[in-house]
Amino acid sequence: MKRNFPYSTPSGYFDNLQSRLSRIPARRTRINFIPYLALAVSFSLLVLIGNYVLTKSTASQPASDEDIIEYLIDSGTTLAQLEDAEYNY
Amino acid sequence: MPEQERYFNTLVQQYSEPLYWHVRAMVGNHEDADDLLQDIFIKVWSSLSRFRGEADVFTWLWRIATNETLSHLRKARVRAALSFVRIDETAERISDPDPYFDGNEAMRALRKAIAALPNKQRLVFTMRYYEELSYEQISEITGTSVGALKASYHIAYEKIKQHLTE
Repeated sequence: MKRNFPYSTPSGYFDNLQSRLSRIPARRTRINFIPYLALAVSFSLLVLIGNYVLTKSTASQPASDEDIIEYLIDSGTTLAQLEDAEYNY
Repeated sequence: MPEQERYFNTLVQQYSEPLYWHVRAMVGNHEDADDLLQDIFIKVWSSLSRFRGEADVFTWLWRIATNETLSHLRKARVRAALSFVRIDETAERISDPDPYFDGNEAMRALRKAIAALPNKQRLVFTMRYYEELSYEQISEITGTSVGALKASYHIAYEKIKQHLTE
């Protein structure tokens, strides 16, 4: 301050201030990880929930014999092959 | 130590003290100035990678400090308004006994008169009167035209003169 300035500070304030301010980069670098961590946690949760919902929905509806036979016919398995498989089973 | 961090520390060493006085002249008390300085340097660090040197370092730092200080003063006024405290009562509180005020009675009266000014007038007045910055420098920092700054300073000066002669 060039003009007569009527304010003062506690003794040693500016030495202490400089060391406090110099610690800002280290603190802010640590804090900058938080958004990435939050994103990773959200993604993991989404995968877990999705996996749970999918496995639950398929596990709760077991395929019937009719469904299996229908699937085999649709995929080109012949009746003879089915009978053959039943005989061998 | 990365280059950016080294540069930040150079800014802290060179400018933390003058920036403190810049903020202190505006807010009056030591605690507010100390808190604000912390916020200002956090902002300086977070925008350092975007600083391309279009403005010189002094203008850039003073602009950040001025904006932060004005924002603080605006919030303080809103808080005062919400709690139905009159502006002159706020000024009175700013002029309360302060362990870090070394001035005489005339300086105390001046401090009170400055505290009663609207924020922008207070800003222009303290930058001219205490920091002795030119209108051109203040214009670069605040983005206000020199003519408007001169008018603000003149109005602030007249209000202070009236306050001191009452």
